[in-house]
Amino acid sequence: MDISRKQFILVIDSQKCFDCKACMIACKVENNVPEGHWRNWVKPTEAKGRRVQFQPGQCMQCEAPACVAACPVKATYKRSDGMVVIDPKKCIGCGNCVTGCPYGARFRNPETKLAEKCNYCEHRLLRGEEPACVTTCPTKARVFGDLNDPKSKISALMKKGRLVQVANRKINTKPRIYYTSGTIQLSWPKEPTLPGDVYLPESFWRP
Amino acid sequence: MPAANEKGLTRRQFLQFSGMAAAATLGAPRILHALVPLIGKPIGSEVRRVPSICDMCLNKCGLIARVEKGVVQKLDPHPNFLKSRGMLCAKGNAGIKQLYDPDRLKYPLLRKGARGEGRWQRLSWPQALDLAAEKLKAIGEKYTRCGVLFMAGSDVQSSFVNRFASVFGSYNTVSHESNCLVSRNRAYLDTFGEMPIPDTLNSKYIIMAGANCFEALITPDSIDMITAKQKGCKLVVLDPRYTKTAALAHEWHAIKPGTDMAFFLAVTNVLIEEKRYDEKFVQEKTYGLEQLKDHVRKYPPEWAEKECEIPAKDIRRIARELSEAAPAAMIYPGRRTSDYEDSTQIRRSMAIVNALLGNWDRPGGLTISREIKVKAKPFDPPFYEDNPEERVDAGRSLMMFEEEGSFKHARDAVIEGKPYPIKGFFTYKTNPMATGANRRKTIDMINKLDFMITVDIAMSDTAWMADLVLPAPSYLERLDPVTVLQGGPAGTGLITRTPVVPALFESRPVFWIVSELAKRLDLGQFFNFTLEEYRQEQLKDWPNAKKDLKKDSFHNSPGKIYGVYEGKVFKTPSKKIELYKQRYSEKKADPLPVYRPPQIVPPGKFRLVVGRNAYITQGSSTNNALLSELVPENEVWVHPKPARSLGITSGELVEVSSPAGKGRLKVRVTEEIRPDTVYMDSGFGMLSKGLTRVYEKGVSIVEILEDHNDTISGNMAMHETFVSVRRLH
Repeated sequence: MDISRKQFILVIDSQKCFDCKACMIACKVENNVPEGHWRNWVKPTEAKGRRVQFQPGQCMQCEAPACVAACPVKATYKRSDGMVVIDPKKCIGCGNCVTGCPYGARFRNPETKLAEKCNYCEHRLLRGEEPACVTTCPTKARVFGDLNDPKSKISALMKKGRLVQVANRKINTKPRIYYTSGTIQLSWPKEPTLPGDVYLPESFWRP
Repeated sequence: MPAANEKGLTRRQFLQFSGMAAAATLGAPRILHALVPLIGKPIGSEVRRVPSICDMCLNKCGLIARVEKGVVQKLDPHPNFLKSRGMLCAKGNAGIKQLYDPDRLKYPLLRKGARGEGRWQRLSWPQALDLAAEKLKAIGEKYTRCGVLFMAGSDVQSSFVNRFASVFGSYNTVSHESNCLVSRNRAYLDTFGEMPIPDTLNSKYIIMAGANCFEALITPDSIDMITAKQKGCKLVVLDPRYTKTAALAHEWHAIKPGTDMAFFLAVTNVLIEEKRYDEKFVQEKTYGLEQLKDHVRKYPPEWAEKECEIPAKDIRRIARELSEAAPAAMIYPGRRTSDYEDSTQIRRSMAIVNALLGNWDRPGGLTISREIKVKAKPFDPPFYEDNPEERVDAGRSLMMFEEEGSFKHARDAVIEGKPYPIKGFFTYKTNPMATGANRRKTIDMINKLDFMITVDIAMSDTAWMADLVLPAPSYLERLDPVTVLQGGPAGTGLITRTPVVPALFESRPVFWIVSELAKRLDLGQFFNFTLEEYRQEQLKDWPNAKKDLKKDSFHNSPGKIYGVYEGKVFKTPSKKIELYKQRYSEKKADPLPVYRPPQIVPPGKFRLVVGRNAYITQGSSTNNALLSELVPENEVWVHPKPARSLGITSGELVEVSSPAGKGRLKVRVTEEIRPDTVYMDSGFGMLSKGLTRVYEKGVSIVEILEDHNDTISGNMAMHETFVSVRRLH
């Protein structure tokens, strides 16, 4: 499959999620994610001390990715298919991108010492399969597809609109994962920093 | 997705090839892998996709394993199995770590030290089987054949254990069901004549009381509940605990534990007083409306409010809303109903509401499980003259199921040695040491035994207590018989398993174990077939299913869903739905559910309730490397109000104690539970050092739970224990 002509998008319906965490274990197995780390998550939204909604998430494949701005060696970059990727040959494991991500979507793999995150299971996409988290989801809360294919379910969903994004108020990295409009908690992402809790002017995060 | 497989090969040949492929990794010519039949499109060299059926819980969802160079790399959902609707949950995805688990049992072990000391001697299979046969024979001769108790859990090979018990001559077989749902089955069978399947998908109004469909996952119900909600179905949850089902419901009512019957009697009262029931249906199809009318007059919502602590106006409103949505409305029958001493009667009160709604056999209501059958190898067990008259647990509850028995009663009988001694115990795929309330009594029971045999995948707490431990393969390594799934709208079909990979270590399936034991006990004629031959026999009348089972491991068999009962009578004595239960009065039980308030929680104490989360299958999955990352230990949930008076804060270690036992675990202070109730997950605080992740981690709930029982069905009653929570520092 030629994925360079694709435009991958993920739309998540949090109201379909019952926090079974199938996506997290599926991802962990598919990508050999080491113990103690995750490439995706399900985040509970609380009201009055009780959980009211469960919000699945992962690397937001941002349009204006703070991680790209944070990388000193251009190991992480935005690709034409919409994905933010890491070139392991260039990555020096400095960890800038880990704190630079407003979503906490990245971690340093303790074995390889390199940055790691969701890549939509690229190896599965090449085989014509969907990402592991999308395939396994009981209620199909995640819908994944190619925006360049007008007949895809994702194109229809995007056309229908009424989608929202989860973003940091100050530094909006323009995420490319959309949520259906019933999603409650939208502004949890933190302001990006560099390691050591170093804050930088907004302009720094514009790649 | 998977297409043709194993073209022109018999199963036997396939197994030979698999064996050869395994040999290839040991240095034989590499070319052999090309001969291994592929399922579906190869996804690279030495990569196969093999279908199977998940066994991480009871659901039996369809899966496809990706096997690379003989190693299972990933389990994905099978998209075409109607029952599981193309899903695989966290547990299903973690199945790979049941297969590849360093804690697995690898060869037969014989106890060397004291029970529970954990000193073992490795035996060869012939040694182990000879010894087991010799011990079974000796016990049979000394105490009669019924002196051996068999307990096989929910597994597709458990029928072979029961077949062995039967030909060996013991009718003391106990299933896991009496620690689970026999009271629900009792109630629905006695009301409707059979156990219905909820049509969650098409329902417009569902009341879930004592059920938790978004954590105690049931396929397809749990998935369908979300779809139904999106189509506008209203979900009302009654639960002392704010479960994830409560979190996603339209309404959550923190009902006072043990008062569900009061709520449903009041709903019945409203339906009758306001003539909101389906009159035509009730007239034609039910028995005992007049008695019911008289009976519920004394149970208006205003009365129920004082019992269950749900406002009368809400009960009345819910009853009205329910009737407006009927017949596409239901009280969800639920599953684990091992809660109170009158749990059958509680479920009867729910079944009666369902009957009044006229939802039987209609869209969005209760549908009839469509029975399909495969052949079995019939057998005529020998008669043993010296055997006692009855099961060892007989007569200890009013209306027990012969074929399920009662773990609680059988355990008492073994401890008392009455009415006759039981000295042998054979367990398979069940873990009473981790799931039977009052663990100390389970230990007492085991200490009464001469010989205990446990067949398991890992050193469970039950195996830890046994004399002889025999290693079983995981579901991904097994050839299994064809099993019928009796389902409703989606669930009817056949499943089977063919090994995804060859069995690891010296593990052997229980079918082989009991066949070998039978041979040694001169009972070989009852097991004179291979599992493959058995499967062939089963499928004689299913020519089309054969192909599907080979290709997918399942065969969907959807059929007529609604209107199945038209022109038919109900399978009850009155041939109608029995609102009033004549047979109960003959057995000295209430013919209509009579409300008796639960015991009052003593001051300073809490009622302990049992429940599920979506990552734990009772005592069997907490030691899984992937799942233990989600839930590494259990915590006791305490409401902030009592937590303040106890001076305890989230994360600190506390002691929880009851008359049954005690233990230390972390506390989770949360608004998600009633102030008079506490909760903890099951499956932790294990005694077995063979379970490295959960050994002495948290507290085993069965250490704390007392063993009460439902007086009708003999089901364990696990919500009748009051506990103290104590600060340690």
